[in-house]
Amino acid sequence: MIRLFLFLLFSATNIFPQDELLDLLVDEPIEPMPVQATFKATRIVNSQSVELPRSKMLEFMVQHRFGTVENGFYDLFGLDEAAVHYDLKYGLHERLAFGLGRSSWQKTYDVMIKAKLIRQTEGQGKTFPITVVIFSNMGINALRKDAIVKDNFANRIRYLQQLIVGRKFNESVSLQVVPTWIHKNLVPAHEDEHDLFSAGLGGRIMVTRRFSINADISFPLGDRPDSFKNGWGLGCDIETGGHVFQLLLTNARGGYEGAYIEDASGSMKGGDVFLGFNITRVFSF
Amino acid sequence: MKKIFLFLCCVPLLARDLYITRSGAVSFYSHAPMEDIVAVNKQASCVLDLETGSFAFQVPIRGFVFPNALMQEHFNENYLESHQFPKATFKGNIDHWLELDLGPDSQDVAVTGTLTIHGVSREISESGTLARAGDGINGLATFEVAPADYDIRIPKIVRNNIARIIQVTVNVKLQQK
Repeated sequence: MIRLFLFLLFSATNIFPQDELLDLLVDEPIEPMPVQATFKATRIVNSQSVELPRSKMLEFMVQHRFGTVENGFYDLFGLDEAAVHYDLKYGLHERLAFGLGRSSWQKTYDVMIKAKLIRQTEGQGKTFPITVVIFSNMGINALRKDAIVKDNFANRIRYLQQLIVGRKFNESVSLQVVPTWIHKNLVPAHEDEHDLFSAGLGGRIMVTRRFSINADISFPLGDRPDSFKNGWGLGCDIETGGHVFQLLLTNARGGYEGAYIEDASGSMKGGDVFLGFNITRVFSF
Repeated sequence: MKKIFLFLCCVPLLARDLYITRSGAVSFYSHAPMEDIVAVNKQASCVLDLETGSFAFQVPIRGFVFPNALMQEHFNENYLESHQFPKATFKGNIDHWLELDLGPDSQDVAVTGTLTIHGVSREISESGTLARAGDGINGLATFEVAPADYDIRIPKIVRNNIARIIQVTVNVKLQQK
């Protein structure tokens, strides 16, 4: 009895207090918070990701696509040639960003708005499983007059609207689906569609904290000409402080938004694919 | 006998004089050749047992606010891995508590205890100050933490941006529970 008594007394006064104090605090649940870094960059490979430029930060992105690899050493697997898209994006708010871009593909300027409608949350209590983003882009082709069928400014414009629905499943795997609507004011042939619908799929697998393998592909919804190829990209993210480098292989050469969905030209079979990279650099203001 | 036994067992549980806060401030400062980084967290919880001088802290890692959103994300994702280790905690004692006579003037105190960051626990001894302020108690401490001690790996490429020794400041205003 006395032994038990001593034991209990000892445990109650000396061992209990601190842990119990901590328990008092630990009982407080951590409130649900938006998940961070579903993807490292605002693009997966070619496709937009659910990520926005961060609030009050300017993001500069270069998308660089080399020529076809099929000529081998003659043009160093396409490295002698380049198609580029540059853009500058600014995060007005953690859920709203806008940007301006320029693509060498058809000398296209573009303006974009990206907004996060719903955020996936994690934590204890009521959480939401997915992130939903809308992305809207208008491209203005700036080719010289004679290269365009009719010189009407409206003919130079094309629009792209995307709903990006993504989920970070765990620290390593994130996936997203991207229903897309592209509208071209001018189409090359009379029978071509002005409105094109498609669905994109993209994801990543983290290999280390700062390195991931990424892929995206798009599937057409509705008819396309026989020559149509599904645009795909396979790449990796390498994150170093304020930069994200993305090295990639793709069958779509145009850096401009619609181009990687509707104008992919290469195929793996013929070796007609393109090496490339994206570089993201952020500046804070 | 039984009565004494029950009484003695209950004493430490009943007669506790607890001072507590849910909005303590914990900030840190990193001084490196390329840049200085300051982050502030105002969601720290702290409880002090006036009876024994033992106290505990809990700090949600996601609560640190950086001047730059990218830094904040990297801090959580790459360094503190807050998804896996959402909290930092400290539990310990104020040394020579019973000899202490707490008044309105700040008094230097020594504390010892276990600091847990990033899932790694280490015994530390640091100093701080305590003072009565109205019906509450204010606590202040500044100490240094080496990320490497807590298994927080900082790659070479950002060595010039992140200090090897981080200065941590804790400021709490405790109120009786």
